[in-house]
Amino acid sequence: MANQTQHGIGGLTYDKSKRAWPNEANVFIALVLIILAFEALGQILPYMDGQSMLFDFNLNRDDTILNMARIKIIILQVSIIGIIALGVTQVIVSGGIDLSSGPLVGAAAMIVMSFGQTALVNGNPNPSAAFAGDWAFDLPVILPILVGLAFGAFIGSINGSLIAYTRIPPFIATLGMFLICRGIAQWWTKGQPISFPTPQYAALGSGMMPVVWFALLAVVLFLVMKYTVYGKHTYAIGSNEDAARMSGINVKRHKVLVYMIASMLAAFAAIVLSSKNLTAQAGMGQFYELYAIAMAVIGGVSLTGGRGSIVGTVLGAMVFGVIQSGFTFIKLDAFYQLMAMGAIIIGAVVLDQYRQQRGTR
Amino acid sequence: MKKTFIAAGIAALMTTSAMAETVGVTIARFDDNFLTVMRNGMTEYADTLADVDLVVEDAQDDVARQLDQINNFIASGVDAIIVNAVDTNATEAMTQAAASAGVPLVYVNRQPVNMDTLPEGQAFVASNEIESGTLAAFEACQLLRAAGLAGGANGYILMGQLSNQAAVQRTKDVDDVIGMDMCNFINIIDRQTAEWSRDRAADLVTNWISSGEDFDVIFANNDEMAIGAINAMTAAGIDMGDVVVVGVDATQDALVAIANGDLDATVFQDAAGQGSGSVDAAVALARGEAVDQQVFIPFQLVTPANLSDFTDRN
Repeated sequence: MANQTQHGIGGLTYDKSKRAWPNEANVFIALVLIILAFEALGQILPYMDGQSMLFDFNLNRDDTILNMARIKIIILQVSIIGIIALGVTQVIVSGGIDLSSGPLVGAAAMIVMSFGQTALVNGNPNPSAAFAGDWAFDLPVILPILVGLAFGAFIGSINGSLIAYTRIPPFIATLGMFLICRGIAQWWTKGQPISFPTPQYAALGSGMMPVVWFALLAVVLFLVMKYTVYGKHTYAIGSNEDAARMSGINVKRHKVLVYMIASMLAAFAAIVLSSKNLTAQAGMGQFYELYAIAMAVIGGVSLTGGRGSIVGTVLGAMVFGVIQSGFTFIKLDAFYQLMAMGAIIIGAVVLDQYRQQRGTR
Repeated sequence: MKKTFIAAGIAALMTTSAMAETVGVTIARFDDNFLTVMRNGMTEYADTLADVDLVVEDAQDDVARQLDQINNFIASGVDAIIVNAVDTNATEAMTQAAASAGVPLVYVNRQPVNMDTLPEGQAFVASNEIESGTLAAFEACQLLRAAGLAGGANGYILMGQLSNQAAVQRTKDVDDVIGMDMCNFINIIDRQTAEWSRDRAADLVTNWISSGEDFDVIFANNDEMAIGAINAMTAAGIDMGDVVVVGVDATQDALVAIANGDLDATVFQDAAGQGSGSVDAAVALARGEAVDQQVFIPFQLVTPANLSDFTDRN
């Protein structure tokens, strides 16, 4: 792979004479171009009356010339999958893949919510109580959080151990876990949804809290991946596993850690998601694993490992948010949305690939 | 209903030999709330019948998997099959498989596309889907008129999965209602799918709110999406007294939302009743009894006024 040696371990360094700017700049430019495209459609399409997507010159609605409501929803609607994408990013950078995160969200949400339920709804017993009758309700909020993170760590350590010690491909190990987690989600309450959390639990994901968590975790993961031994080892393993092992990195233990952190992030996303919606349902998190991977890949994370960054993934998530809001903005018929979404994902990656090849040649 | 109960009762009395009937059941999705209530209605009812065993499979929303399950049931010699179809357009193959093997087949909840040509020994147990969307939409129309908006009102439609017949039908019901002279003051600004999901609906409605257009009504194809819409509007500081929101299904969460004054109306579909009705029909067919080819379990409108009648039903 002559391609990779040019980037050096970590993909963070690059040959300045051959690459004009870091990869994240490409994603940022793509983001701007997509926004401009929607703004242009707002002007061109006859039924749009020249509306703008991000700007709003009617100062009666808020004090800025920006449409703050739309900017908020753009970030809000991707922040929960974004939290998963942060974990998926480090998995892919380490040369692996994690397909189990979506179903893990469903399973974790069910388990966590059964510890986060309130006993009384409007003075009546909670109508959707999990394990009605003899179950402790109104537990302090720290308990469901710890249960969720422990469950995530447990699932992640199984994923990681299978991959590191039995050496089965990550795709297969996490595909198996995908099915197991969907099963757990349905088995926990035999498919019944669980609703009405305690006020403290509901506060975790209310309003813009999902964005706060996403931003906070993104900063932490960014620092970890860029400045810590953990991050450097992750890039090293993804770039060249044998070389990493020869240079004394405990590759097996590190891989377990990588998958554990990814699953804990997915479990935390489940906490935020169930809190935001005040309910947990076994079908939650459908396709989240694929959207999380797509966010990372759009953000320039290479599926062959060793290259990519948290900044890129956050930008990739923003691309998703802009596209989703843009579709509703131009009132695109629901039938065309998936097609357009798929085309944009493929287009973004093809463009990125093309630029890279031109840059390194 | 009564007739089938009596028929099943007589059949049960007449079957003096301890021959247990085995009924194979394939459900479109195990993780769907409504279908779970229906599925539990089946199993709980079958438990009360001394000599009926249910084998329940999850088709995981996969048409091909469901047909395989039916063929597996036939191969293992079940006495009858209950199908909650993943895709109502794919039922012809299922009908043929069961008919050629001589195994009775009952479709439940989702109307098969070949309803008119169902052979002897096959039946359909459900509620008449047209009722549900119409009841909800008409209630919304009346509430808007009562609020003095008969001069013009704007609204949105939250649609379920576009591949699902109930979603298509309930959306069409809304269109039909606002096509009536009495309700044609309602203008639909936009309609999008939120895939039956609360989270998707909340995000979608927040997007709509960000466009700054005022609206008076939201028609949701199910309760989960209606609650998602309510969550989004509450978060945006919209007074729920100003917007009419209607859903379908009468889930527990929706009943609480009605009690809180957030949701204006929903429609009760007797999920457990459909489940037990389908078991009755399947057992009766297995025992060679005559069964009506269409058994309808009625929908009922749920409003704050009659809320208490429904709290323990779904």
